[in-house]
Amino acid sequence: MFLAFFYKLKEVGVPVSPTAFLTLHRALANRLIATLDEFYTASRTILVKSERYFDLFDQVFAYHFQGAELPDVEGLEMDEIARAMLEQWLADPKTMADALGMDESQLSKMTPEELIEYFKQRLKDQDGRHDGGSKWIGTGGTSPVGHSGFHPGGMRVGGVSRNKSAVKVAMERRYKDYSLSGPLTQAMVGEALKRLRNMVPTGPRDQVNVDESIYRTMKNGGEIEIAFDRRMKDRLKVILAIDNGGWSMDPYVSVVQTLFDYARAQFKEVRTFFFHNTIYDTVWEDPARYRKPMRMAELARLDPETRIIVVGDASMAPYELMSRDGSIYIQDRSGNPSIECLRMLVHTFPHSVWLNPVSASMWNYTRTIIMIRQIFPMFELSIDGLEKAVQHLMAA
Amino acid sequence: MLPDICTVFAQFKKEEFMKANIEQTSFTGATRYVLDEELAQIVNISMALEMPLLLKGEPGTGKTMLAHAIAESLNMPLIVLNVKSSMKLVEALYQYDTLTRLNDSRFGDSRRDVSNIEEYIKMGKIGQAFVADKRTVLLIDEIDKADTDFQDDMLDVLDQMEFDIIEIDKTVPARHRPVIIITSNAKKDLSDPFLGRCNFHHIAFPDPKMMRRIIGVHFPDIHDELMDNAIAAFYRMRDLDSVEKRPATRELINWIRALKADPDFKPKRLAKGDVPFLGVLFKKSGDYERANSFVNRRKVF
Repeated sequence: MFLAFFYKLKEVGVPVSPTAFLTLHRALANRLIATLDEFYTASRTILVKSERYFDLFDQVFAYHFQGAELPDVEGLEMDEIARAMLEQWLADPKTMADALGMDESQLSKMTPEELIEYFKQRLKDQDGRHDGGSKWIGTGGTSPVGHSGFHPGGMRVGGVSRNKSAVKVAMERRYKDYSLSGPLTQAMVGEALKRLRNMVPTGPRDQVNVDESIYRTMKNGGEIEIAFDRRMKDRLKVILAIDNGGWSMDPYVSVVQTLFDYARAQFKEVRTFFFHNTIYDTVWEDPARYRKPMRMAELARLDPETRIIVVGDASMAPYELMSRDGSIYIQDRSGNPSIECLRMLVHTFPHSVWLNPVSASMWNYTRTIIMIRQIFPMFELSIDGLEKAVQHLMAA
Repeated sequence: MLPDICTVFAQFKKEEFMKANIEQTSFTGATRYVLDEELAQIVNISMALEMPLLLKGEPGTGKTMLAHAIAESLNMPLIVLNVKSSMKLVEALYQYDTLTRLNDSRFGDSRRDVSNIEEYIKMGKIGQAFVADKRTVLLIDEIDKADTDFQDDMLDVLDQMEFDIIEIDKTVPARHRPVIIITSNAKKDLSDPFLGRCNFHHIAFPDPKMMRRIIGVHFPDIHDELMDNAIAAFYRMRDLDSVEKRPATRELINWIRALKADPDFKPKRLAKGDVPFLGVLFKKSGDYERANSFVNRRKVF
């Protein structure tokens, strides 16, 4: 039973396990599930183990049990735009009606579903005539999963009246924020970086070591001797090198800022350096990259256990990376190509990663990213990427 | 946790409720917890399948309160295991009090039998749930604080419903399978084997309608005007951009209490965009500043 449903979930990328599927069947066999609503809740709670997939699950469920269409790639953008139009329509029916050249009263007679259909139709027409992209549509933001979810009426506890809120339900994708594409917040960065630590004993000996005490007491022939230990403290050294130059990093300022803020708060010994595009012989301690230079040679004298985290889009002209006088700043040209400096860094500090705010799917389109990846272990600056980066940093 | 909320709630129709819920075996809600039907179903299914229920969600969505509510409504004792980052699994199961035994053997001034190790074994929280006389609700709070090994090992114990006390070579089976609720604040996922053994639910932040009911339960005699304006202002403040710690239910409840306590306060002021006692809602100085400038900016217009 429901095999097709199970495989559909697997197919769209919800990680579902056969064991969980069997558990669901156990629930069915025990007559714990009587209605479709109950099946929805039960199958989600048993099969889906992360809120990030709730959105996807909703869609598959709607597809399987309601015959709703699964989002296809072309439909995606259209869908989002139609949704944005609906929102616009709710906020300001008059402007919207004018823009469509329709009578406001005519539009308001339609149900939300009809409205969305109508908007989509209009959009398709516009595409055909190639005069689309009216400004007020605005968003057009795409997400990896389109289309609205299905939420059985039974879910909306609290007696929501249908006539007005149905419009809202049409737009409701309750779990969209939790899907993988969500923004990186400080809390998430914190979670990911939490595991990044190196415990070493420090401070006064003020903790009783029970095992050692027993051992020594026995050695003493029963005369009690209590052994003390030092407390374990986190003494991880971290160097954060941030690309803060040029406009190519501008779109990522906020996410880098988040990472930077968190690192300040979390790590005792964190040093931040700045560079532009790639690292030459010098990095700077001040964001203006002017006052406090730090030579590569000095950097190399630091503890090799230091974790190096480079944040940058790694996108530049190839000569900046490869050429012996590639730097766009004249004072940086020392005859050593930047790629050699990077190699030296990785060689000196085995625990180093490069976090790239550019989405991993785009990496193969930029020459310099491909080249730097061959030297530096590169990870995407996202929840998942950060986690993998931390794993890499902590690996022995 | 949250003793203030509990006390406010406890007065509410408790006797009436207890009468109705005696001998009940499925979970329908409790006096001090506004339950969503979906969640009730999930709790019931997890209990029937005898699987632990893993709850995730923003702080302030009532994950911990749910366990309290289940315990109250099913009339079971609640045992809370607050997970700490340095915790080892053994500590949650039992503790062999070596120091006392060492002390007793050296000075011999206690009534315990030093040669009987069992007298020095103390049950940890999970152990207590296993040996309890009746079925208990075991709340394992903030599991994400511990490392992955702890989590996996613990699920092994909870799966098999027994553990060994190595020192006396004795197996402790669970006398009654406890109802297990596990909470996690983490945005990231727990390990796969762990997830495989749990049912999962994510509690979303309550929408304004739900929030009205929650506030209604906390403040049975609240005026509609205050309720409407406070909730509207609260969601407005929650929507502020780039706030690090967004105010949650707990903050709203405290805030309303503050508003009610202020004799000069008029609910109309909220509608005009004035937000007094910002410090109750925003606890981080950066957030406070941001919220403050937002409120002041509104006042100018």
